This record gives sequence, C-alpha cells and structure tokens, in this order.
Amino acid sequence: MNSGKIDMRSPSSSRHLVIQLARFGDLIQTKRLVRSLQAEGEVHLLVDESLRPLAELVYPGVHIHGMAAHGTFVGDVLSRIHQDLGEIADCDFHRVYNLNFSGPSFALAGMFPWRSVRGYRSRQGQRLIDAWPEQIMRWTRTRSLTGLNLVDVWGLYAQQPMAPELVNPDAASRGGGIGVVMAGQNARRSLPANVLAPLVQAALGRVGHGPILLLGSGGERRAAKELAALLPASLRGEVRDLVGRTDWRELHDTVAGLDLLVSPDTGTMHLAAHLGVPVLAFFLSSAWCHETGPYGRGHLVLQSAAECAPCLETASCPHQIACRRVFSDPSVLRHVSGHTSRELASGCLFMASGFDALGLTFTAIAGSDPWSERRRAFRGMAAAYAGVPLSDALELTPDENWMRERDWMLPQTLRGRIHD
Amino acid sequence: MTDTRRILVVLPMYGGSLPVGRYCGNALRELGHVVEYFEAPDFFGAFSALKTLRVGTDRLDYLENSFLQVVSQAVLAKVETFAPDLVLAMAQAPLSRQALKRLRRDKVPTVMWFVEDRDVFPYWKAFAPFYDLFAVIQKGDFAEQLTALGQPNSFYLPLAADPGVHRPLELSAVERRTYGSELSFVGAGYPNRRLAFRQLAGYDLRIWGNDWDGETALAPFLQRQGARIETEEVVRIFNATTINVNLHSSVRPGALVGDGDFVNPRTFELAACGAFQLVDSRLLLPELFAEGELALFSSMAELLDGVEFYRAHPEKRAEVAAKGRARVLAEHTYAHRMRTLMEHAAGFMPVRNIPDHDWRAQVAPHLRQELEALLQKLQLPPTVSFDDLVWALRSREGSLERLETAILFLDEWKKLYAGPRPGK
Repeated sequence: MNSGKIDMRSPSSSRHLVIQLARFGDLIQTKRLVRSLQAEGEVHLLVDESLRPLAELVYPGVHIHGMAAHGTFVGDVLSRIHQDLGEIADCDFHRVYNLNFSGPSFALAGMFPWRSVRGYRSRQGQRLIDAWPEQIMRWTRTRSLTGLNLVDVWGLYAQQPMAPELVNPDAASRGGGIGVVMAGQNARRSLPANVLAPLVQAALGRVGHGPILLLGSGGERRAAKELAALLPASLRGEVRDLVGRTDWRELHDTVAGLDLLVSPDTGTMHLAAHLGVPVLAFFLSSAWCHETGPYGRGHLVLQSAAECAPCLETASCPHQIACRRVFSDPSVLRHVSGHTSRELASGCLFMASGFDALGLTFTAIAGSDPWSERRRAFRGMAAAYAGVPLSDALELTPDENWMRERDWMLPQTLRGRIHD
Repeated sequence: MTDTRRILVVLPMYGGSLPVGRYCGNALRELGHVVEYFEAPDFFGAFSALKTLRVGTDRLDYLENSFLQVVSQAVLAKVETFAPDLVLAMAQAPLSRQALKRLRRDKVPTVMWFVEDRDVFPYWKAFAPFYDLFAVIQKGDFAEQLTALGQPNSFYLPLAADPGVHRPLELSAVERRTYGSELSFVGAGYPNRRLAFRQLAGYDLRIWGNDWDGETALAPFLQRQGARIETEEVVRIFNATTINVNLHSSVRPGALVGDGDFVNPRTFELAACGAFQLVDSRLLLPELFAEGELALFSSMAELLDGVEFYRAHPEKRAEVAAKGRARVLAEHTYAHRMRTLMEHAAGFMPVRNIPDHDWRAQVAPHLRQELEALLQKLQLPPTVSFDDLVWALRSREGSLERLETAILFLDEWKKLYAGPRPGK
C-alpha cells in the first residue's frame, strides 16, 4: 500500500552510483542495470581507470569515474585512491550498487551509509551480502542445473529493471567480415590455433566473405600469427592482424562493422552483443552460456557439454581439457559453416539466444540438452524470487528448491532489498 | 609507551562487571592498544526470551546452554577474525570451558579479571584453570587456592576509576535538586545495607539503585521505585550529594559494617569525582589510600559520628575529597590497572614483529596532516602498525571519510595485487 508520503529530498534522491571494479566483460554486462537506473535518474559509474574510455563509449549520458582499482597502477596508490575518491565522496547518492564480491569493493562500501548500498555492504567492519547476490551465489553451486545471465543478475538489482529485449539491439550483420578473438582472460576457455583455424574457416563459409580481423591483446600476437599460418593460403590474404593494435575506440568501431564475431567468452564478445553484432562463441571449460553468454537475440554459442562442464575455473583439469576436442569434430564445423542437416557430435550443444520474462536464455538448436527442462523449472523459481512473472514456468520438485531455513524464517524483501 | 597490542575485551551479558569491562577498554585504548569488544549485552535480549517460553525446566536448561554455546562460538569467530594478542574476559564473560580450551589450543592468551567476591560467587573454581591468567580483587589465600586448582598465574588487581567518566561536574540548580541530598547511597539492597540505613532515617537521605524491594522502612527514601540508575546519572548523584555513604555489601548474618577485604569500585569512583564519601574500613584499603584521603568508619556508631562531624565541617569534607581524588588520579585509574595487567600478560603474548620501517613515511606529504589527525581521532599511537589502523577503521560507525576509505581500499588492493602491505 502506498504510504502517501512524498519524497521531498533534493534531486540527489535519484542519483545512483554503480561500482563495477571488475574487468572489460563485466563492465559491458552491467548494461541492464545502468540503463534501468538511467530511466530513474542520474547515474554514476565507478570503474577501473583503464576502462574509463570504454565506459564512456558504452554508457553515454552516464557520469564515469575511474580509480586505480586493478593491479596495473604503480606509484603512490594511497594518494591516487584518495584523489580518485574525491570525485564521488560528496555526491550524496541515493543508492549505491556495489556489484563485486571483493575486498576493495567492500572497502568502498564503507564510505556510504550502509542502508543506501545494495549488493555487498559493510557495516562497522562486518561484511554483509544482500539476499539477492547471496541467493545467486547459492544457485551457482549447481551450475549445470541453473543459469541466470550475469546481465540479468545485475539488472535485477534495479527497482524497475528494463525489459531484457530492450537492453541490446537484435543481432544484425554489418558487412565488415568476421572478427576473431584470439583468447579469453582464462587460457583454458580459449582454443589453440590448430582447433581455432578450422572453426574460423567454417565461420567464413557461413558469412561468405572476408576480411578476417584478428583481435586481442598484445600478449596474443604469437597465437594470431600461428592462426594465420594455419589458414588455407587462399584465405591468408583476407587476414588483418589487429592483435595488440587497437585502443578502446578502435576496437569498438572495428567490432561495430562486423558481420560476425567468433570468440570465446570475452569482453570483446560482450561488446559485440552490446552493439548488436552477431556472435558465434565457443564456450568450454568453466564458461557456461547460461551465465555469461552474449546478451541479445540472434547470437549462437557452441557450448561444451562434457559431463564435467561447467567446471571450476580455479581447479586444475584432470582430463587435459578434453572438452576442447569436440570443437574439431566435422559435425561441429558443419554447423558453424551453416549446414545443419546432420547430427551434432555428443559433448557439444549448438545454442541460440532468446528471452523469457526473466532475461536471456539459450536453447539447443542442435545436440541434446539433458538439463533443459530442469533449467526451465529453475528459471520459474528464480523468476518468482525476483518478482518477475514467468507464464510457462515448470514446477520445481521440493528437493531442488535451493532454499534454506533462514529464507523461510527471516523477513525478506523483493530480491533482498533492504527496508528503508 | 609499550607496544601496541590487539586486545579483545569480552564483556558479560549484564551485571556489575559490564561497566568495568568498558572502562578497561577505554584505558587500553588510552594506553595505545587496539581494542575490540565482544558485545555480549546485545545477546541478552534473545537469551531472556528463552525464559518466557513456559517450557519444562530441563528443556529450558538445554536451550540456555545451547544458546550460550552459540555465543561462545561467536567469541571464537571474533578471535579468528580480529587475531588478538590477548583476550581479556570480565567476570561472567560468556566463554565456555570448551571455548577456552580451543583458545588455549590456538595459543591465544586469555586473562580473566574476576571482579567479584570469591566467597559469594564460587564458580571461579570451575573456570579459573582454563584461563592463562587470573586477576583478582582479593588477597589472603586466594592465590594458593587458585594454584591448588591448577591456576598458578594469578595476581591481585584492585578495582579503580575511569577519570573520563568519574569526574567532578558543574551541576545546575535543577540538577542539584534532582540528584542532591545530604546523605545518599547508590547501589543494591544487600541485607547489611538495609539494616544499617534504617539508622540514617532521620537525615535527608536518598537511596538509589535496585534490589530494595520489600524494604518498607526505607521505602520513603528509595528513588525511582528502585530502578537501575545509569552511570551518567550515578556520577551526577555522587557530585550532588553532601555525604556519600559507601557501605560495602555483606551477606554474612549480623555483620553490618566492615568485615571484608576487597575495596569496591564505588570507593574509587566517588574519590575520582572529588565527591565526599564515608566508607567502611576494609582489610585492603590501607594499602590503597593513606590516612586523610578517605573518611572511614568501622561501626555503625562511627558512621553516625562521621555523618554528624562532616555535616558540620564542609572544609574538612573538601580537604578529604581533594586528597582522595589526587590519589586515585595518581595510582588508581583503570589505565594504571591495565598497565599492570599488560605487564603480567606480556609473557603469555607472542613477540610482536615490529617492522623495520615506518609505513607512515611512505604516505605522501599532502596526506600526512590528515593522517595524523585520523590517528589522533582513533586514539592510536604514532607507532601503530598499518594492520592495526585498518582494524580500527573497520570498526568505525557510520560512513567513512575519504582517507579512511582509501586506507581500507589500499589494504584490500595490496592483498590482491602486491606483496607486503605497508608496515608488514
């Protein structure tokens, strides 16, 4: 019931701060939250200084603040942080969305009244996690059965989350050939050049023309050369090696003109999705398209479906990353090239993106996904928890409800928001 | 200045040792240590709720014990996070024997300040051996008894006053009317006091405090229907009263005055306030106060004579009160006690690795002044380690300032990206 009270506070009552101190991909994946908050008022975004130019490109109309959050800064860190915080210290934010579970983020939370902080808070030195992210962390303990895209996880922090299909444009080719991202931050999630080369060739067949733009950071120059050397001689002339040669603006503009981006789970992949450029991603090892797949309608993911997938990134692999092998299978290459008449090798799923009311989904268009029904049931439960009606949700059996006694026993607010 | 140490003060859920615990924390901070409290009083509400269940006594007993185990576990969790150099437990601290065994196993030194009468509260016998050190307010054969029970490391540590709390006040006329009287007493209605104070009924007497129920003869003098009086008001009463009667409690039948040894906190607190008191003689009093620093009585007759004499001699009252206050400030503050306690505890605490270099030297010149002010605000010594500063900042209430946040951020940043943090 409406209390009838009128908010008489200053305009700062609709001034929001989003603290996103993680990396490239995470910055892009904050979009649903940022856009939702922009509909409510003024939005400030605090990012690592190295990502400030990118944030300015991706989030027009948002006040971007940079700070020395990553370990790349050398020099007097205390003075630098002190100076960086000066930009936001006196802004009087109505809400602070603190998105990262990390020590520095908890430290930052202490600068704001604890009741105004969402996500990861600090109250007199006690670290507190809101019910929503705490619930998400619990769900991710059974990752194969669950799946909520990170864009939605963060987007649902907003009081009025924007419709998921409005976050990014639908994927549409731009005529500029294909882009190939050499590697993700985690090497295990990437493919070696000898596996990647046939995939690139197949993807080129799908698009029908070049050029082939190789993208990545300076550390991947050697891999790019290996890949180019492994491509048929007839295609080498199509290769433009931009690895380590693009700043944020150049990367942004390059990706914006592509017909297709072939990539592991990377920040560039999320940038393409942000721009509505079609993505053909390969997800293996710990990468799980239901969590970090490209956001938007019209993207494709080759998802490893090994029994151990998705694995834990920090644990060593006892199978010598066997999940890589399937990406060389002729049936996989046929699907990548656009020929879908034949079966897909086991251990791999060809997934297409779409939406339900909760957010982004991936559905198998080739291969057999044994967990799809259970995942639908999970999404029904998650949607109920998030206060988003999901019309065709399946019932979750009682032993799968991921609930704890305290969820039942303690007063809860929607998505763990705090009563003010 | 001694080394800065991290000390966890485990407060009781309630009772007389609770304010003493807070005074100890104040004093330890004054001495430059980093203090963290275990706030057991916060758990008392939930604990009390168990008694309203109307369940069988065996069930209630089980629930209460289970609850206290949880509270004990909370203390252990606090120890794990705070990593104190010393755990100072006050009498009635919610530390189970199991928890104390765990602390000993983990080589966390523990000291109990048992600020109770050993004859009235004999439970110390079951717990004393589990502490590394046992401080007591009584002498006699107490140390021998403790040794026999397996606690060889005991020492005498009399009570004291906190000059920041117990101090002379300029009172308004309204406050004098509210709190003042010719004679007053603040404390619980022990049997000897009930009998003794009936003989003061002819005076302008006010009695403050609890546990006076059923005392019809003194009912007209009892203030606020025997409600508990908070420390701040107690200090006002001390300051507003002409003659504060300080009669130590006794549960021994027939003994109205002066047969005990330890000196109660009220003696030190009244003196620190510069308030005049008539206090009953105690075995251990002469070694704490010299003649003329307190006005004493050893019998009811001497109490009545004293009242008559000092009513008529305000200058004598002022002289005794001034000497008493000077003595307390010189020797009987909680800072003095905590210094002594830390000396005793030194042998049990791990040797501190003092970093070779001063981490503050790495702080940019334009931030140094702000940093000095911050250290002062937090009552931290200039020699404080970076880790201890971080801890002190974490426990701050409310929103942090920019420099405070930057220091906490730096600490976390270094954990992620760099090798040693400043001063490590």
